[in-house]
Amino acid sequence: MQVKSILLAGGALLAASSGAQASGFQVGLTGQKNVAMGGTGTGLYLDQASQFYNPGAFAFAPTGFQVGGNMAIPRISFRPDAADQGQRNLQNTNVFPFSGFIGFGPKEGKWRLGAGVYTPFGSEVHYQPGWEGRYALTDINLRSVFVQATAAYAITPQVSVGAGLVMLAMGSVDLQRDIPLQAQGSTTPAHAQLTGNADHKLGYNAGILFKPSEKLSLGISYRSAIDAHVGSGDITLTNLPASARSNFSATSFDVTLPLPDVYSVGLGIRPNDKLTLAFDANLVGWSRYQSLDFTYAGGVLGGAATSSSKREYQDALAFRVGAQYKITDNFTVRAGTFYDMSCVRDGFVTPETPDADRLGLTAGFTYAFGQRFGLDASFLFEDFMKRSQTQDDLISNGTTDRVAGTYKTTISVPGVGLYMKF
Amino acid sequence: MTTLFPLHKTARPALALLGLGLGLAGCQSNLDATAPAASAGPLDFTSYVAIGNSLTSGYSDGGLYNEVQAVSYPALLAQQFGTTGKGPANFVQPAFSSAKKDGSGYIKLQVVNGALAPVVPSAANSYLGEQVAYTGANPTFPSELEAYTGNQPDNLGVPGISVLSASAKASTVPLIAGAAQAYGTLNNFYQRLLPPADRGSKDYVTYIGQKNPTFFTCWLGNNDVLTYATNGGVVDPANPFSNMTDTTSFGRGYRDILSTITKAGTVKGAVANIPNVTNIPYFTTVPVATVIAGIKANPALPNAAGASLYITTGTGTVREATSADLLTLPAQSVIGTPSTTNPFPVGVGYSATQANPLPSKYVLDATEAAAVVARTAQLNTIIAKTALRFKVPVVDMSTFFTSIATRGITTNAVNNSAAFVTGNLFSLDGVHPTPRGYAVVANEWIRVINNYYGSTIPSLDPNIYRGVLLP
Repeated sequence: MQVKSILLAGGALLAASSGAQASGFQVGLTGQKNVAMGGTGTGLYLDQASQFYNPGAFAFAPTGFQVGGNMAIPRISFRPDAADQGQRNLQNTNVFPFSGFIGFGPKEGKWRLGAGVYTPFGSEVHYQPGWEGRYALTDINLRSVFVQATAAYAITPQVSVGAGLVMLAMGSVDLQRDIPLQAQGSTTPAHAQLTGNADHKLGYNAGILFKPSEKLSLGISYRSAIDAHVGSGDITLTNLPASARSNFSATSFDVTLPLPDVYSVGLGIRPNDKLTLAFDANLVGWSRYQSLDFTYAGGVLGGAATSSSKREYQDALAFRVGAQYKITDNFTVRAGTFYDMSCVRDGFVTPETPDADRLGLTAGFTYAFGQRFGLDASFLFEDFMKRSQTQDDLISNGTTDRVAGTYKTTISVPGVGLYMKF
Repeated sequence: MTTLFPLHKTARPALALLGLGLGLAGCQSNLDATAPAASAGPLDFTSYVAIGNSLTSGYSDGGLYNEVQAVSYPALLAQQFGTTGKGPANFVQPAFSSAKKDGSGYIKLQVVNGALAPVVPSAANSYLGEQVAYTGANPTFPSELEAYTGNQPDNLGVPGISVLSASAKASTVPLIAGAAQAYGTLNNFYQRLLPPADRGSKDYVTYIGQKNPTFFTCWLGNNDVLTYATNGGVVDPANPFSNMTDTTSFGRGYRDILSTITKAGTVKGAVANIPNVTNIPYFTTVPVATVIAGIKANPALPNAAGASLYITTGTGTVREATSADLLTLPAQSVIGTPSTTNPFPVGVGYSATQANPLPSKYVLDATEAAAVVARTAQLNTIIAKTALRFKVPVVDMSTFFTSIATRGITTNAVNNSAAFVTGNLFSLDGVHPTPRGYAVVANEWIRVINNYYGSTIPSLDPNIYRGVLLP
């Protein structure tokens, strides 16, 4: 008789619980000043974080050093489509995105050189033990660290260009789920854990800033896509019935996760010396992410050497507005808002990325200790729209490898940073 | 107020904002508040009674035992009915005592000669170490099981019972009617439920008439075709209930049952019809084509390429098997085995001489299978008409199981199917569900009850309940 063969289908790599401020599993908590202004940064220059938002704007940015970190506090609720198990909440885990930038150049000169480190993608989600979706996902933890080297040049006092070389310097994934196989004498099903580190990959970003007057600036920027690839990740299986082992002989896995490119346009307006307004629009090329495909090495996992899970993401738009007001020479306050459209289509929502259209509200301030040093603080609150999918939706989409039900997420993200001007 | 804010004042709104933010961070959306509340609608489940056969009793893996009895679909329904606030305070099952919790014993999957095989418990293998409830008082089958001594239970499922054997009014043949009346001496599962004085005289309909339910479910009729089918279309002369039940007797018996349990149409409930038995793993796990391919590829068999599988049909004809013939699950361990007259390699069913065909009881041949399907349809028509007369909905298990056999059913990211062992839904006897299968069945009852009566009984997460356990 053939032993149970259950496809460990698909699986997922990344989640959105910390995916604050951008659709899918983007994090985008780079630069405390930008975060506090609704995530704008394409059409103006605030500080060295311009390297991330628009390298073209970086040519005009002040030189100096900055470092900051955030604490993303997600609250995800799930209620199954059927059954009376009631609402499931996550074992809420806080995650800590960070960023740091340094920018050099002549104080009033035409060029800037810079370097940065930041965490544009990542997430961590831990569902309650025994939850409905345990066979889709129980735990996920993805970390990524990017480093960037940037050069920018002001061609004229009105126009500047810049570009950065971006590297996925560190990426790790830890994906866990239960397998619907149970051993005699055991009260819990088998469990699979997939862990691995991503290869180093290069990408780039580039941008232009046009500044027709002191009161107005316009920017365009582009970040390239990167394929995050985990070469030979480890498969760890626990509680597997002995008679099923031949169907779970794989020892390692290979997976590629496409990270999207981002097109941004932005506008900066300074009606007077104290007030700055910023408007941004982003188009995120999530449609690259059509399916998540695993290849297993050293045998099979659940009787199959490969698995594929439909994602069929769509490109997503986000609109952002921010403002800052300089109350004193030492104290500046900021606020902003954004509306970010989901890249996940109806009926394709997965537990690892319970994505939805979301509204963000931001606030923050800077306090300068004298001329050189200062402290930035930001706060972001994101409210995801409630999102439901039924079992019939999943069946008609061929996406029954996830669970039907209703998700609702909110995220709060306080952040703090320090800077030093050269 | 001055226009220039000193820091210690200006910082305050920012800090207050931060405080507000941290407050928001603690907020968890309450999705339960927006979900429809469980409601019984016009129904009252305070005295819920389930009548039926093995499927109702919680029989699984070829036996009745406490673990699965506790997750029989009536027990699961009672649990879900309870969420409406109008459920039974205590749904009584006729469980075995804890020292004999494995009841009649159950089939286990074991590794035999390096391969997985379902092993049937017996005295010879010490019942696989199970704590069985045989009393030994009646050594010939049916061996007596530990008697249930509590009050009359609410789950009245009796493994093996049919409509014909349930009602003494069903058949006009005195032998059959008498056997229904004396059913407590014929079926050890019914016997254990009855006080000794009732065992030779009280038919099942009289027994269920002793209850005063506020709501009932009834799933009977399967054994009016299944007993015949699982025995390969061979009628046991010693068993008056081993043939397919004729439609006239079935109609009389079914009306008697519904009239009794509804108290002449005054008690609300639901009934289920008979699934197409030819879809169950008992008949689908050993396909003729696979067996024939195995024979032709068998290096131990002389002239294997010219050999095939030969069967004895219900009419006694010996012929080559075709894909329209359904081999039973037990046929798997019989085909190819040596006999006294034909030692291997000319095993049972192998063709070399045609002298040793597979006996009729291991195959539901094409003619018999068609007859079973036709009779099932006729009996389901009677069930539908009778349900209409007594104003109860029919849970169309026939359509439901056909859908599972065709497409499977996905429960929270787990694909389940009608496949043996791997499908999660059918237990090791190839006929009865696993606990997960019973949960899926319970959800179908709930769906139909909600549709018909306008109640909002919540369904179950079947994944909480196990499929087949592996060694």
